[in-house]
Amino acid sequence: MRNNETKGPAKPARRRVIKQGAALSAAGLLGPVLSSSVFAQGDDLAPYKAARINWRQAEGQEITVAVIPASYFENLISLQPQFEALTGIKLRFEKVPPGQIRQKAVLDLSSKTGTYASHASDPMYYPLYVANKWVEPLDTYLNDASLTDKAWFQFDDIIKAWRDANSMNSKPYGVPYDGEVTVQVYRKDLYAAKGLKAAATLDELVANAKALNDPANRMYGIALRGFAGAGQNMYIYPSILKGFGGNWGSGGKVVVNSPQHVAALTWYVDTLTAYAPPAVRNWNWPDIADAFSQGTLGTYVDAHSSAAVINNPEKSKVVGKIAYATWPKGPAGQCATSIWNWGFPINAALNDKQKKATWLFIQWAACAETQARTSWKFAGPAKRSGINRVSLWKSPDFAAAMKGMGDNFIPAALDSLEHDTDVDWRPRVPQWPAIGDTMGTAVQAALVGQKKPKEALDEAQARIDQIMKG
Amino acid sequence: MRTATTAAARRRTRNLVLAAIAGVGVAVWVFPVLWGLLTSFKTERDVLAYPPAVFFTPTLANYREVLFGASSILPNLWSSFVVATAATALTMLFAIPAAYALGRLRYPYKRASGFYVLVTQMLPPVGLIIPYYLVLQKIGALDTYVGLAVIYLTFALPFAIWLMVSYFEDVPLEMEEAALLDRAGRMRALWHVILPQVRGGIAVTTIFVFLNAWNEFLFAVVLGGNRVRTVTVAMFNFISVEQTQWAKVAAGAMLAMLPVILIGIFAQRHIVKGLTVGAVKGGGRR
Repeated sequence: MRNNETKGPAKPARRRVIKQGAALSAAGLLGPVLSSSVFAQGDDLAPYKAARINWRQAEGQEITVAVIPASYFENLISLQPQFEALTGIKLRFEKVPPGQIRQKAVLDLSSKTGTYASHASDPMYYPLYVANKWVEPLDTYLNDASLTDKAWFQFDDIIKAWRDANSMNSKPYGVPYDGEVTVQVYRKDLYAAKGLKAAATLDELVANAKALNDPANRMYGIALRGFAGAGQNMYIYPSILKGFGGNWGSGGKVVVNSPQHVAALTWYVDTLTAYAPPAVRNWNWPDIADAFSQGTLGTYVDAHSSAAVINNPEKSKVVGKIAYATWPKGPAGQCATSIWNWGFPINAALNDKQKKATWLFIQWAACAETQARTSWKFAGPAKRSGINRVSLWKSPDFAAAMKGMGDNFIPAALDSLEHDTDVDWRPRVPQWPAIGDTMGTAVQAALVGQKKPKEALDEAQARIDQIMKG
Repeated sequence: MRTATTAAARRRTRNLVLAAIAGVGVAVWVFPVLWGLLTSFKTERDVLAYPPAVFFTPTLANYREVLFGASSILPNLWSSFVVATAATALTMLFAIPAAYALGRLRYPYKRASGFYVLVTQMLPPVGLIIPYYLVLQKIGALDTYVGLAVIYLTFALPFAIWLMVSYFEDVPLEMEEAALLDRAGRMRALWHVILPQVRGGIAVTTIFVFLNAWNEFLFAVVLGGNRVRTVTVAMFNFISVEQTQWAKVAAGAMLAMLPVILIGIFAQRHIVKGLTVGAVKGGGRR
């Protein structure tokens, strides 16, 4: 019985079960109810028991982990019984809407309530967490042989850019569970018809957008996130800034109005004004993906995970017409992908036993086996595309699971992850939440034409100077 | 004869114009609701269709998913019901005597106390989230029905008191005097003579308080959790970071509206009466 859900002759049988399960799910009513039981991922614990640690050392503890409602966490939630069977720890997940999870986490951490043993955390919040000692440095856990089997866990296999994003002063504070890469997404059919190829530079990106732009026929050249916010337009703008060779200052001073900033913002405003749908100023990425899936966009640059939406046959009209490329390089000859990931830290307000339990949870969630079980081994329809390990990204199983996403999906994402990352993609300071909002407002003000880019950035600079003085 | 016809014609024109204006007003109000209703019966593909499809094959899949699917909102509807009912009951329990006192009794610093009730309404709710969170955490009432209901009470009470004071003021003083002369005590006079007069006001206030509690989001999301998750918070979870499931959001919204609409229909008689009671009687104000 053991082990046969991963290898061996039982595999085809299991596939058939999955298919039947998927058909049930498609039939509607019963699918979702049964999904956690019928879609058993194989509750074999042997791959975990290969780790030379005592998984039951925190037996009887109870921990609550806050996550957002997203399929990549739903997949993990469905494995919760396996974790409890493995460790004897009682694990509760709490789903908090994405707009509120930071606020709730900060309230919990700052009041030292210990409500959430861990939570899906925004990498940009580690400077704040660490400055206040709200979360545990994880090197001690990683280096403790009774808690971590290093050879089994292979922390270094986790994508470096994401590990770095969750580290402060080269100490890890959160372990990446799921992450995103920024990629260029384009309609290969339209590109081929006009003899275009994927842009290698921002200039080419604009030229492609111009060639495809045809508002009279509801076709727009390009879209980038336009909605104001730390996680919206401030997701895309920092990458453009890096392309223009800009940075966020150094030595405790945050600079947002350098000539590179002005050039980057001007490019963003001009490009979107000329070749994007007028509503883009209020669009976050789901809106962009929706527009692309309806065939009204030629290109967009955003998270690779949006591939699931534009390839959703229930919604999308462009399945089979999609290809991917890396973020085009800017005038400075570089490009930078987002280093976004959802990581798990340990709440410092817990007692030692609870901390151990939380670490076991983190190790379980981030290890290769769980990553696989929430991706290609997952029996439900949503196979995670944001797995956290280089070795898994390169595995044929993952390639097979991502085959339907379109041309060049994994190579484009991997290329970006290995070459286009910059941990200082956004200013890593404790004041980030306020800075992110200020910049989000400034970028949008420029986009809607309320202010000139330089003017908007100068005002943001003045406000940020105030924030930094604090 | 001729003048009569022109007068009738003029009246008809005027009625038509008024009806047109009213129609536009109603349309503006109805449009979003109708749009939501249509969306709730569409597939995600139809939601995004352009030009928007007015005729489409309706589906109940969204309602099925929202009610019985993996993220069913039934428990959340129940949570909302418990919190809103408890908050409303508590609020009315305190607001009725308080409004009566403010409207009728004479006591020192009456004006000041009335003003104080209003002042508590002037704080922006956002500023209270952190203090409330800390207080509830200290007493272990985070993510509990009691905690959330008591927090709602603090907002609803001033509002309810101020809404009801005017109703109490409108009851002719003579009625109460008559009751007192008949040797009824204050409480008895309040219960048997005054309250029946302000039924409408109480109904209106109850509905508003219930509505506000039912629709509340900000505090529910921060002070609630896994155990107490109101329907507004649950619905928000359909807008995930991956995609916005518009059809499910719409189906959830329609279901969340339903109880409130039902209550509104049942209570309509009282509301109308309540809104006009001051207008017809008059003269009772002191």
